[in-house]
Amino acid sequence: MNSKKRILVWDLPTRLFHWLLVAAVVGLVVTGKVGGNLIDWHGKIGLLVLGLVVFRLVWGIVGSTYARFCQFFPTPAKIATYLKGGWQAPGHNPLGAFSVFALLGVLIFQLLTGLVANDDIAFVGPLYDLVGRDLSNLATGWHRLSVDVLIALIVLHLAAIMFYAHVKKDNLVKPMVRGWKEVDQGEPARGGGALALVVALVIALAAVFAASGVWLPEPPPPPAAVETPSW
Amino acid sequence: MKSKIVLALLATTLAAGAHAQVKVEDAIKWRQSAYATMGWSMSRIKANIDGTYNKDDVAKAANVIQAIANSGMGALYVPGSDKGKGWADTRVKPALFTDGPKVGKIAGDFNAAANELAKVAASGDAAAVKDAFGKLGGTCKACHDDYRTKQ
Ligand code: HEC
Ligand code: HEM
Ligand code: HEM
Repeated sequence: MNSKKRILVWDLPTRLFHWLLVAAVVGLVVTGKVGGNLIDWHGKIGLLVLGLVVFRLVWGIVGSTYARFCQFFPTPAKIATYLKGGWQAPGHNPLGAFSVFALLGVLIFQLLTGLVANDDIAFVGPLYDLVGRDLSNLATGWHRLSVDVLIALIVLHLAAIMFYAHVKKDNLVKPMVRGWKEVDQGEPARGGGALALVVALVIALAAVFAASGVWLPEPPPPPAAVETPSW
Repeated sequence: MKSKIVLALLATTLAAGAHAQVKVEDAIKWRQSAYATMGWSMSRIKANIDGTYNKDDVAKAANVIQAIANSGMGALYVPGSDKGKGWADTRVKPALFTDGPKVGKIAGDFNAAANELAKVAASGDAAAVKDAFGKLGGTCKACHDDYRTKQ
């Protein structure tokens, strides 16, 4: 009866995404809370996270089986099966899927507001010039409030993982590290080859470029002859 | 001659009166202006740290911050100015008026950091300025985190 088999659940790009994201988000919360000169790093790490998230969004379409959003999108039918306790398939279960979309959603909100935020001290997000002062202040307020939502979701995320490990005796962390899982039934992940990876990376890099604001027109240099008063 | 003295006396009493009771609207305007001026100076120092470093430029900006930090800005937090409009609606939190010692500590740290920055700016040591600048920025943030509304 005990015919467990090893299948690939999380492909390498998804795993790399996850653990880089964990490190970067911890870095962002620390640099954001501490401020001072670290706020410069906050901006840089923010761009890294932007790249990671955009990569994951594309990977959710072109990646391998269990990384695809449509594979784990929580439809009412799936939720019903899950609630009746009949959920067997590998990959995200419907509740986990909610958590994935919620985490990604709040991260995106954090990124968009952060890109135009300011700290009223000596740092502005790279796209600050696009929105101006008033909108930037508003976005900064939201940015600071939604950090708490993000932290709450992460705590919930970790609590759910602990619950699975200790109560349901299902270690979710190992597959997220090694990629494979021993299951009774289910197909190994397929797809997400080299071409898909290149496409996702290119789009992610393009997004980082767009968000970095380096393409914004420089303010026209003052004509050499005209100087501001020397006092 | 006599009328001149009377005028002078009158002017002094008026000035003293104005000093004793700053109008709420003025108090809010002035503190907002003072903070905005420090914001200018901070950006100016940052531009020097990130780009080409000009010792005089940095020293000027650091002196402005030091002067404002030591100007006794507490006087602009007159009773009743927890609400109201200066250049814009005030963003101070009422807690600033009730947290006595805690605000005092933050303001003290801020003063010390501003003095330190002015000192190293005069020496022209760019690395030391960067360090002192970061510490000062941290004290601005500490106060904003606790005593300024999020929006
Ligand atoms: C003791 C607390 C405190 C410290 C220290 C402090 N701030 Fe503020 N800051 C405030 C408060 C309170 C306001 C809101 C004032 C208001 O709206 O009435 C403010 C507002 C501001 C503003 C907006 C001004 C405007 O246009 O309305 C800027 C810019 C600013 N601070 C920069 C700085 C900088 C730069 C530093 C450090 C060099 C600093 N602040 C240190 C409390 C502080
Ligand atoms: C997932 C991404 C991000 C996370 C988790 C995050 C988190 C944080 C945190 C915890 C703070 C401190 C808030 C507080 O003290 O209450 C903060 C502040 C800030 N963040 Fe982010 N941030 C993210 C992305 C960004 C990005 C991309 C930028 C811009 C490049 C940015 C710009 C800022 C600024 C300017 C502040 C200072 C706000 C203030 O002190 O008033 N953030 N962020
Ligand atoms: C900053 C903190 C974290 C964030 C923002 C975060 C975010 C995410 C996201 C977005 C996913 C979905 C992955 C995908 O489909 O691509 C995920 C899954 C997962 N995360 Fe995290 N995570 C964090 C911390 C952690 C930590 C510390 C652990 C482990 C101790 C962990 C373990 C897992 C596991 C096991 C999964 C797969 C869940 C499943 O099997 O359904 N996460 N996480």
